[in-house]
Amino acid sequence: MQKRNSVLKVTASMLRDYLVLVMIALLVAVTAIVEPKFMSGANLVNIMRQFGPLIMVSLGMTFVIIGGFIDLSVAGTINLVAVVTISLIQPLGQVPALLVGLLIGAVCGALNSGVILSSGALTQAEALFLTFGMSTVYSALALLYSHGSTMHFWDIQKSKSIFEAIGAGRAGPLPLSFVIFLVILALLWIFQTKTTEGRAISLTGGNKTAAHLSGVNISRAIVVVYTICGFMAGVGAIVLFSRITTAAPVIGAGYETNAILSVVVGGTTLKGGKGSVLRTVMGVLLVILMSNCLDLLGVSTYLQVVVKGAILVVAIWLDNRKQA
Amino acid sequence: MAKMRKALAIGLVLLLAAAVGVGAQAKVKAAFIVSNMANESQAFSAKQFLKFGSEYGFDMYTFDAKGDTQAESQIVTNCIAQKFKVIFLNPNDINAIVPSLMKAKQAGLIVGMFSSDLAPANQKYRDFYAGVNDTMAGQQAAQAFINAFPNGAKIVEIGGQAGHDAQIKRHDGFNTAIKGSKIQVLDYKACQQWATDQAQAIMENFIVKYGNEIQGVFVHWDNGATGVIQAAKAAGMKNLFIVGVDGNRAGYYQVQSGDQAVSIAQDFVVMTKKDLELAQKVVNGQKVEPINFVPLTVVDSKSIATFDPPEW
Repeated sequence: MQKRNSVLKVTASMLRDYLVLVMIALLVAVTAIVEPKFMSGANLVNIMRQFGPLIMVSLGMTFVIIGGFIDLSVAGTINLVAVVTISLIQPLGQVPALLVGLLIGAVCGALNSGVILSSGALTQAEALFLTFGMSTVYSALALLYSHGSTMHFWDIQKSKSIFEAIGAGRAGPLPLSFVIFLVILALLWIFQTKTTEGRAISLTGGNKTAAHLSGVNISRAIVVVYTICGFMAGVGAIVLFSRITTAAPVIGAGYETNAILSVVVGGTTLKGGKGSVLRTVMGVLLVILMSNCLDLLGVSTYLQVVVKGAILVVAIWLDNRKQA
Repeated sequence: MAKMRKALAIGLVLLLAAAVGVGAQAKVKAAFIVSNMANESQAFSAKQFLKFGSEYGFDMYTFDAKGDTQAESQIVTNCIAQKFKVIFLNPNDINAIVPSLMKAKQAGLIVGMFSSDLAPANQKYRDFYAGVNDTMAGQQAAQAFINAFPNGAKIVEIGGQAGHDAQIKRHDGFNTAIKGSKIQVLDYKACQQWATDQAQAIMENFIVKYGNEIQGVFVHWDNGATGVIQAAKAAGMKNLFIVGVDGNRAGYYQVQSGDQAVSIAQDFVVMTKKDLELAQKVVNGQKVEPINFVPLTVVDSKSIATFDPPEW
């Protein structure tokens, strides 16, 4: 009896830990049976392309959440980076425009950490409101800069081959944006697991007081996580507008919630301290697959939103149960 | 001599002040309340109100509700408090705005709806409406398909923001008009927002599901069509008959380049002038038609040469 109970406990614990994998497997199995085209090569490439913008933003968000904070400013950062970068291709050329875009992303992130540190905000709730405010500022700057207009690739006479390659190019059988993601993922995974700075982020998120007493520079960790998040939002913005060939000053709307959803559903705890970029990949895969599979199955948009919300609630509920 | 100069100067200043006073009094204080300045068409419309307002005798102000229904209601009540005579309004929510419009009417303000009208039961709380008929936009899109494919075709429909007034009317108008024709709608999906990347992702998924069966796409807005075009290009699909609504810069250039077949264009300059003209008449005590549809224009490869590139 005792043995049976312990087996049940282990199974339940594993289910909680790997719920996202179970959900992905279920989704794939059902869709593949109902709509065999789901397993086609074209759809795999399709999913990889759709992965691009969200995975970049979510990877950055992972560090902020592991660090015990949250960042709602990514939508505003995406808006600002997208309109500024696309507008600079014509006067500066594509490489400088790309670099300026990435720099703006990192600066926005660093600025967020500056606001948080200077205000003495040390809780997730405080960071939530501060970054929401910063998102409004960045979005307003994007609107002011673009005069509310959408900018298009056809407005640019100079070469934009880098952006076209990011948006639609391939490296062998894989979309180029997917290859960029794999490289960035490898770098971020090494940073998170193999460097002192990476471990300091987990310690800060787990228990700030203990981390401080252990000699971890908390302020530095906060600057690092927000700068990474801003930089990755910048990368996400570039992948996004390269894919759709236009940049509106509201292009980033909804990315903050989808990124948080992906990170949490992937298994990174909202309480901070625990999580991994690899888990976030699973979370993003689930979010992308959900849209892809439900579209192929003919499920309405309204129901898709309900399903997405329900999954987030279940993920947070399970996370809380696990912590308890 | 010096005294005379001084008296002359004082006289001129007084005359100028009086003239300014009379001028200011002659202009009627009016506000254009924008649903969301982040929406390109709304930002463009706000500029048009400021540009043409004085021609119709209005001292124009614009306010941005930033997509927030509560904020929009608050702006209406602020306008009442600040003694505005006329408000032009593009509502975020045609039902939630009603209580504030009731107050505006009680206070004697002239209320003109812009681009979106109130539900029939609530239309007594506004004086007039000027805008396009989104149901008609859907019908005209359907007609474009019927004309292009007299022997029938298989198409897909990609809607705008799910639940948005324009999305619902364009979808309904399209499906009413397509009924009984040889056009078969393989699938329909609305986006969660008016977002190009969402339209693109839906189109990519449709291409996986239906492949070369798809001969045409009705997408509810021209910027969404940009995403559809990218999805089709990535899949190597050619000669897709794409119909969008708006007639903005994206639609114009996509029709010009041949990537998009038709754009059902709405003219925000005409819409703005119509609203201003109606308000002017009401101010002068004249009666006006309560519902004023601004005609939509079909922009396609044949007619595009007759249009100037849109400013928005």
